[in-house]
Order: sequence, then C-alpha cells, then structure tokens
Amino acid sequence: MRNVVKGQMKIQQMAVMIVAVFFFFVLVGLFFLGIVLKDVKGGAERLQKEQAISSLKVIADMSELNYDSTWSMSFDEDKLRIMSGEFGRNYDLFWPVASVGVYKVYPRFDEVKECPSVDCNYYEIWDNGQGDVKTYSTYVAICERVKGMANGRCEIGKLVVGVVDVGK
Amino acid sequence: MKRGQFNFVWLFAIVAGGAILFLAIYGALRFGDTMRFQSDSEVAKSIAIITDPLQAGFAEGSFGKILFQQETRVNNVCFDGEFGKNDISVATWSGIGEEWNLPGGATSIHNKYIFSSDIASGLDYYVFSKSFDFPYEVSDLIFLTPDDYCFVNMPDGFLGLSVPNIEVDNCSVADAVRVCFGSGDNCDVMVYGSCLSGCDSVYDEGVVVKNGIDMRYVGNLLYGAIFSDKGIYDCNVRRLLYRAGKIAEEFVGKADLMDARNCNTNLKPDLIVWGAMVGNASINDLASLRTMANVIDRKNKGEKLCGMW
Repeated sequence: MRNVVKGQMKIQQMAVMIVAVFFFFVLVGLFFLGIVLKDVKGGAERLQKEQAISSLKVIADMSELNYDSTWSMSFDEDKLRIMSGEFGRNYDLFWPVASVGVYKVYPRFDEVKECPSVDCNYYEIWDNGQGDVKTYSTYVAICERVKGMANGRCEIGKLVVGVVDVGK
Repeated sequence: MKRGQFNFVWLFAIVAGGAILFLAIYGALRFGDTMRFQSDSEVAKSIAIITDPLQAGFAEGSFGKILFQQETRVNNVCFDGEFGKNDISVATWSGIGEEWNLPGGATSIHNKYIFSSDIASGLDYYVFSKSFDFPYEVSDLIFLTPDDYCFVNMPDGFLGLSVPNIEVDNCSVADAVRVCFGSGDNCDVMVYGSCLSGCDSVYDEGVVVKNGIDMRYVGNLLYGAIFSDKGIYDCNVRRLLYRAGKIAEEFVGKADLMDARNCNTNLKPDLIVWGAMVGNASINDLASLRTMANVIDRKNKGEKLCGMW
C-alpha cells in the first residue's frame, strides 16, 4: 500500500514537472514571438514609409496630374480640379496610398478651404476614409496654361500623401 | 520499487516527452514557414517600391538591378478589369522536397505595368523602364527579367539605353535569348517592323513572334512583347488602353476649363472620339490607333501655348 502511494506521488511529481516544462517552453515561445512580431511591425512601418516617400514623385509625375511630361514635380491645376471632382472617383482603386491631397501654400492661409470654392487652397484627390494615417509631403509647382504665357502661370504647392499607420 | 511502477513512470515520461518534442519540432517548422512567408511577402512589396524611382519620367528610360541572396522566383499575375493590376509574389528556392517554397503574400500594383514572364527565376533581376505615349504619356512600362538577351540587327540607337543584360549583335553570353530584328540566325524571338509613315523607324510598330505566337505592338510596347509572356502582355496592353481612354476623358474636361479662360483648344472633338475608341480597343487595333494618335499629337503641337499636353 505504501509503495502504491509512493508511486502515485512520483507520477504526480512527474506530471507537475512536465506541465512546468511545457509552460516554460510556451513562455519562451511567447517571448520570441513578441520579439519577432515587433520586427514584423517594424518591417511593415519601414515599407509603408518607403512606399509613401517613393509615391510622392510617382504621383506628381502621373499623366492624370502633371502639368507637362517634361516637367517633374509639377501639377496642372485644371487636372487637379477635375481629379478632385466626380471624375476622380473612377480612380478609387488606383492609388498606392491611403490619401492624396494638394495644398496651395502661398499666400499663407489660416484655414483649409477645400476646392471648388472661392479662394480655396486644398484639393482632395483621394481619401480612403481610414483614420490612422501618417502623412508625408513634398513641395511642388501648381501651374495652369494661360494664353500669352509660354510657361503658364505657376504657384507653390505641397503634395501630401497618407499611408496607414501600422504603428498604432 | 516494483518493476511495473518503473515501467509506468518511464512510459509516462516517454509519451509526454515525445509529445513535447513533437510540438516543439512542429512549432519550429511552422515558425520557419511563417518567417519565410513574411520575408517573401516583404520582398514582393519591396519590388513594388524599388521600381518607383525606376519610372522613366521625362528621361529616355531608366535601368536598375535587383540582387537576391538566393535563387528567387518572381510570379506575375495580371488582372485587366478597368485599371487592372499586377499581383507580384516571390518564392525562394527550397532545395528540400519541393524545389520551390510556396510563394509569400502577393503585392497588388494598380498604377504600374510590369512586363515579365508569368514565372521568372534567377539570382539577379534586371529592371528597366520606358514611357508609353499614345499620343500623350499614358504611363511608364516596367520590364523585369533575370535572363540575358542578344539583340541582332537592331537599328543603331534604337534602345536608347545601356542595359547590362542586353547585348547588341556580337553577343558573348552563350545562352542568351536571341532577339532578331527582321532577320537573323538561331532566333528565339523575331521582330517584324511594319511602320511605313509618320515613324522614326520601321520598328515603331509591328509584330513580335515568340514561341510561334504573334504579339502586335506600337512604340515601346515592343519591349513588353519581347520580355513578357503573351498573357501578361495582352493584359497590360488592355489596362494601358483603358487608362489612355480615361486620360482622354480628363483632357476633354480640361479643354472646357481652358476654353473658359480664353485659352481655346480645337482638340476637344478629337479627344472625345479618341477616348471612346481607345478605351474599348483591342490589341489588334493598335496600328490603326497609332495613325490617329499621330494626327492628334500633330494638332496638339500646333496649339503651341494652349496645347493639352
């Protein structure tokens, strides 16, 4: 009888030990998984940032927006007017980023006024409606063709693109 | 200790230990697979990003090279509804069991036109781009290939770009794909030019014959036909024609805005017709569309200060 109790004790000890070892490995696994997932998140953030920065030039040079195919980083204001209107909805699935907008930065403004409206200073080309976006921007020229002016009339603008903030 | 107790304790330890060991090995393998999937997906996304600065812009073209640390397979799947997309995924060489691992997650690229084989394998990939003007610039075309090419009888200065994997005439690489312009020996690909008027070279339009399959082209689509499979080529051309139609619609709107401030243009009727034609065109219509594109381009150049592009 005493031997049976002793045997049962050993089995229980063994079971507790195995469960403890199992949990130890699970914890070690979770620890490594945490490190790896942090790395995945970091990688995703890095790729999003690279995508946003490289997209700035790609978007500025798109035929649907650029002023002249021989000019880099210049927008045609007529095209901005069209793309920020109903016609732009045709391009909903086209953009490589979450949002695209163009501001006129001169003269300086206190309030953003979306175009079309009087004295407007902002063209919203695309916004997929996602709240958590990180924005990247670059300065551009906004030009329009005017009779009698060889290079048209140009203003200073700012192209702002947003990408989903995977860090949040 | 009785013999039966000893056996039971050992049996219990072996079964439980075996289970833990099995779970650990299974977990490690799954973990390895997940890591590989993550890495391959990252590479696919990176291909989409690193081709951004390679877009030709207003230059004649642009060239770059992608170096992988191990044999890599790049899969290109093209979808052609409206603007369509290229789905790019990457698989790495396994060496165990199945030769190639399953590809990582695909990256969808809607705003680029990547011409390559359906499945390309190699260590070093060459990427170069050329613009597609029809008659205004529609987009840049991106060509991706791991293979070496030998262009035979190509007109001087035709490529306009020095790409290391493309040799002209006296080729040194033995297993290079031989692309012959008009005529040549041991040709893998034949290019027959058919441009007779309004062109800089007879090869401004024509047919590329590859594996007995004809691919009609105009302008820089020639390189698309040389470097990609028929399915990818046809799909990307349909996507480009759709986009050309949409840009024509935009130009019609732009013409109205320009007219409103006395910068009149006479191109609106042509652009309405052009937009309707090009948006619904097929690859067989390319040559006839090119003639019309040349007419519209000449009219636009005549507009001088109030030109559309």
